[in-house]
Amino acid sequence: VDPNNFKTCEQSSFCRRSRKVQSSGSKYALIPGTLNSYTDSLTGDLVNKENHHLFSFKLEALAGSTFRLRIDEKQPLRPRYKVEHALKGQPEAGRIRLHTETDGEIVITSERTKAVLHGDPFYIDFYEHDVLVVSVNSKNWLYFEHLRPKPNEPTEQREGEQEDQDGAVETPKLTDSIDDPGAWEENFKSHHDSKPYGPEAVALDFSFPAAEILFGIPEHADSFVLKSTSRTDPYRLYNLDVFEYIVDSKMALYGSVPVIYGHGAQRTAGVYWQNAAETWVDIQTAETNVVSSLVNFVSGSRKTPPPGAHFISESGIVDAFIMLGPKPIDTFKQYAALTGTHELPQLFSLAYHQSRWNYNDERDVTAVSAKFDEYNIPMDTMWLDIEYTDGKRYFTWDKFKFPQPLAMIKNLTELGRHLVVIIDPHIKRDNGYFFHQDCTEKGYYVKTREGNDYEGWCWPGSASYPDFFNPDVRQYYASQFDLSRFQTVTADVMLWNDMNEPSVFNGPEITAPKDLVHYGNWEHRDVHNLYGHMHLMGTFAGLQQRDPNQRPFILTRAHFAGSQRYAAIWTGDNLADWPHLQHSIKMCLTEAVAGFSFCGADVGGFFGNPDAELLERWYQTGAFLPFFRAHAHIDTKRREPWLYPERTRLVIQNAIRKRYSYLPLWYTAFYELEKTGAPVIRPLLTHYPLDKDAFGIDDQLLVQDRLLVKPVMQQGVSKVDVYFPAIDDKKNGDLWYDADTYERQERVGYVSVPVTEYKIPVWQRGGSILAKKERPRRSAPLMLHDPYTLIICLDRNGRAAGTLFLDDEKSYDYRQGQYVYVSYDFSENQLTTRFIGKRLYESDAWIERIVIAGLERVPSSVGITVNGVKQNLESTRQGGAVVIRKPNVKMDVDFLLILHYA
Amino acid sequence: DVPRPRGVSLIKAPLYQPRAGDDSWTCLDGSKTIPFVQVNDDYCDCPDGSDEPGTSACAQGQFHCLNKGHESVDIPSSRVQDGVCDCCDGSDESQVVGCANTCAELGAAAAIQRRNQAELHKQGAEKRQEMITRGRQLRADRETRRLELERRIKDQEALKSEKQQIKINAEALESDALEVFKEQQRELDADTVQAEEEPQQMRQEASLSFGVYDINKDGFVEVTELMVDINLDRDRNGVVTVEEAKYFLDERERVDLDAFVTLAWPRIKPLKMLAEGLFQPPHADEQVPKVPVEATTEGVQQSQPQPTEEQIDMEASTDGEADEEGDEDQYDDEEGDVGVGEASPEIEAPAPPVYDPETQRLVEQANEARNALEEVERNIREIEQEVKEIDEQSAKDYGQQEEWAVLDGECYNFEDREYVYTLCPFDRASQKPKNGGAETTLGRWEQWIGEGYKYSKQKYGNGAACWNGPQRSAIINISCALEPRITSVGEPNRCEYYFEFETPAACDSEAQRAESVHDEL
Repeated sequence: VDPNNFKTCEQSSFCRRSRKVQSSGSKYALIPGTLNSYTDSLTGDLVNKENHHLFSFKLEALAGSTFRLRIDEKQPLRPRYKVEHALKGQPEAGRIRLHTETDGEIVITSERTKAVLHGDPFYIDFYEHDVLVVSVNSKNWLYFEHLRPKPNEPTEQREGEQEDQDGAVETPKLTDSIDDPGAWEENFKSHHDSKPYGPEAVALDFSFPAAEILFGIPEHADSFVLKSTSRTDPYRLYNLDVFEYIVDSKMALYGSVPVIYGHGAQRTAGVYWQNAAETWVDIQTAETNVVSSLVNFVSGSRKTPPPGAHFISESGIVDAFIMLGPKPIDTFKQYAALTGTHELPQLFSLAYHQSRWNYNDERDVTAVSAKFDEYNIPMDTMWLDIEYTDGKRYFTWDKFKFPQPLAMIKNLTELGRHLVVIIDPHIKRDNGYFFHQDCTEKGYYVKTREGNDYEGWCWPGSASYPDFFNPDVRQYYASQFDLSRFQTVTADVMLWNDMNEPSVFNGPEITAPKDLVHYGNWEHRDVHNLYGHMHLMGTFAGLQQRDPNQRPFILTRAHFAGSQRYAAIWTGDNLADWPHLQHSIKMCLTEAVAGFSFCGADVGGFFGNPDAELLERWYQTGAFLPFFRAHAHIDTKRREPWLYPERTRLVIQNAIRKRYSYLPLWYTAFYELEKTGAPVIRPLLTHYPLDKDAFGIDDQLLVQDRLLVKPVMQQGVSKVDVYFPAIDDKKNGDLWYDADTYERQERVGYVSVPVTEYKIPVWQRGGSILAKKERPRRSAPLMLHDPYTLIICLDRNGRAAGTLFLDDEKSYDYRQGQYVYVSYDFSENQLTTRFIGKRLYESDAWIERIVIAGLERVPSSVGITVNGVKQNLESTRQGGAVVIRKPNVKMDVDFLLILHYA
Repeated sequence: DVPRPRGVSLIKAPLYQPRAGDDSWTCLDGSKTIPFVQVNDDYCDCPDGSDEPGTSACAQGQFHCLNKGHESVDIPSSRVQDGVCDCCDGSDESQVVGCANTCAELGAAAAIQRRNQAELHKQGAEKRQEMITRGRQLRADRETRRLELERRIKDQEALKSEKQQIKINAEALESDALEVFKEQQRELDADTVQAEEEPQQMRQEASLSFGVYDINKDGFVEVTELMVDINLDRDRNGVVTVEEAKYFLDERERVDLDAFVTLAWPRIKPLKMLAEGLFQPPHADEQVPKVPVEATTEGVQQSQPQPTEEQIDMEASTDGEADEEGDEDQYDDEEGDVGVGEASPEIEAPAPPVYDPETQRLVEQANEARNALEEVERNIREIEQEVKEIDEQSAKDYGQQEEWAVLDGECYNFEDREYVYTLCPFDRASQKPKNGGAETTLGRWEQWIGEGYKYSKQKYGNGAACWNGPQRSAIINISCALEPRITSVGEPNRCEYYFEFETPAACDSEAQRAESVHDEL
């Protein structure tokens, strides 16, 4: 991509204005006597001591060690936008106790947490168990541009003409002037932003005194650990359609999730900055980790200031959630408690997806599906990109290429497969197109400042964009999915929402102009990062209304905080090269801790043609990311596995089959995500928070706390260096078992591991139990009744534990107790079961095999007791494990397995 | 019915017998012995998967569908007990699934299909036999013709040395006479200046054109750069072929400015003028009395397989010395009518010098000698060209029995919503938008590429380059039918086209065998 097509902070008026505060500081103070306290909150007024403008703030305690701080103008000229629909609901309130109110210092406590407010200058310190973890405005970078009348016309014109003019001359109040030339109108390239409401930025700094690193604020193609922005532009959050994006970059991408975490060995905390306008985030952190850690080592204390983040947004209010941990997983769950999680997906969506822009016609779709069977490669979902439509009119089909969509869909569903079709938000301006007619007549499109329907250019040519912020528009759109209307699909056809940043080919920065007007008279500027989210809400509602008992599957490109409740994401239009493969993990790890566990990258790379080795390694990597889809640009060569040499096809078959074998783990992990908010894939620091060397590792990932995955993501290597993390600061670690051989790994730190082209370096943690299904099938739904294999990997004490969830893999019946959720425990040579919840689901599945790794010896006999009946089982050593043959017990039945040693 | 475990074929039934005495059984790969009761007990014991022929327990196992009434097949174990009826007798699924037994219907349908196929192949084979006969005749004709041409070349070579000698003699006399004449004229000759200007102007206009043709501005005009100028389509088939383009570049891949001026422009210019209406090609009947060379070529033309190309060839070569006068007359006449355009050359013919009668006679004699030699040389070139074409044709693989030869020279069309596709076997595949617009070459004949049976697939490559992409290419899948036609065209890969083409030429037994093997897969 050409970075010049996108703004720098310096080219963005509000960013350069707000950033200036970093050198001057600001002067906000609490006004004595304005404080009011309630059971869960504290309110008061603030004053800007330079221009005497008044603000009101509210500090609330929420359940789960979280505070919410809101600051708005006390009497704004017009209302300022407050984000809606991002939170999953009204957050559960906490309770506070007000302790002291002396010398302008107010202390409130809520359970284990404490907030200390300082009056002048105004700042708040947040403590978790008496450790200071987050300071808000400790740098005095709070910057709140109050709404103001537009200066008279001549002044404005002169300002426009002459950039370096002294603003003091035109504006009456010296201290209240904003003399930036972009304050009241702004140009970028050939685009003009009329900015009718003038400057209205909000900015605030957050410090993390107990942290050593910061991470979060996706979506950026960058390392997991955020880098200092002292010599660069800030990280940018502005949903944009970026073509062939650059890696190792702070540029904005398709999604914006303004949540950041600070992590240190003792404490983890986070801040969710709830603002949907364009946002820049400056990061203050040690420039070079080596030097600072040396300094710390020598001095025994921190010499550098604590890591900090400065959030700068173009409009809206200050609405910040301060999540106080204390552990990484606690903090992730606190964020999930606010914005929600993906619900349990249908199993098929966790299996392998086959996409391409485009599968040309029905014959193509059917032939590709058949080839997967010919080569015995499991495949669950075929995808259709924009070309299936009649001239990019969504909810229609190209009648020549797809004359019989229902027959084509049936061909797929007969084998348990699914179809996903794309529906984008740009609507073709064609008077013969019903959707366009309806939106025009009903006034459903996003409007220009003058009140006309906005017209942009996208795939269909001239297009307009439904205003999904209007509930009527969402309902109209949702109703289109009804099978009585969209008759050419079935309730098994799922959805892909692309281009919903929104992408506008001829718009500023390839998106919509900021002065467009949305429902409620809000400017696009206020809500930009939520546009895709609102699109998703419509799609999700549509699919649920279409078939209330089937869980929708949606893939989206644009996303905001909370979009994870509706859709999976992928990392957009990547490239077929090794750096983009490596970034697929870095990006998905960041997304996962920001709520988006259901994340993946286009396997093979969207643009360009991967060679055999890159494609093989990409499949192996994709097989261990939650969303596993191959996809390619229309100008690339076809790359279905059989079009490569036989070895590549077999490597790919192997990787996909491995994915299918672990589907019970993925499915259980997603169930547990919905229940607890714990991410499905996790960075090492989640479970090894004390190991400083593990903080920055972003080429490995954990699947829950059960698997450690280090895919081969380098060209031409015969070994990879794998980092085995320490559980403490004394280089003690877990035991790890190679997932293929059960060979035991006991070391901590980097270990060089040989790899062949088939090898996906994966270890199961000693102490964990997981379930697999080892019979390959054409698609995941055909595995429903297949038996399970339990894999038990023992820790140093000969113990292990783990869960398994199963249900019908498709409906919402699990919410009525139609599931089996079992916890397995192994200790003292005994395996026991404990069922959680109702156990109402009846499954034909059974346990065909139990593999135990880490036993010193093969037991002389193995006995199983089911319903009081005892039976002996055969056991044999296979590699580093003992395999117990055919326990043959149903999944919802209690049993006791005992290993005997003579 | 032989008793045997589920999923085992009749042939393999003897392999599934418990060992007498201990009721044990050994995996087919010999790796392990297990109790016979563990065969088909839904647990995979054998590394080769042979103990579970009737369940899905072994990943690499096979299940035998007996499919009584239809064909027996082996399916992968992964399709057993998965709720999908794969065997037509339903034997891969349990009763619960309730698979209908469709073998009888399928078997009957397959029998009809086989009969129809056999009938089709039988009738097709007759047609194919005719094609073989004609193809062999064509080859024989070519061989005869080639021998004939070789003989004629020999004759012409002899004639050539004779004419050369006459020319040398005549030119010696002419040279002497002209030397004398020039001596006399030298001081009066003010026209010389103008005569020198002519090449100068020629060069200028050639440079201009060079600039236009050199699209990528690399200082060379390449074959591909010429291929975009439809004016150079000498055979008027709608595309400028590589061969056509090369002709203009003196059979080179590319030329620099100097070579362009001296070699290429003289060939290109007449066609440009033709295109612009500045130039009328000489009508054979008019030219006969004036220019004897034309009359001779006219004679040759009649025996040429591609008269139009020859005609153009002649037109293009009219800038040769011998025809200079005639050309420029034509050209001057026209120029006045159409006005001087950008590209119109501004060369004026120098007034022919007036010789004394004796010199005039010697010059004419020398001209005649030159013309005569020219004519012989031209004949030789033409014969050689024809030999080359015959050799090219002979080099093409028309099948083991020449059955494909008759397709060379034919063209078939296929229309879809947007395009008309054309396949001219052994020549090219192309595409033309229905709403107007230029034809695009999808590929030129390369070779047979059928896997298994070579003559089931053709490859056409090196087509016009895609924007931001590769050169187009086309694969032709060929099957047997009574009438030749294209049944479908697709572009599964960007710029890679697939044609389904039917012809009786494909109705041979070997192809049928290959096809039926493929069907089974």
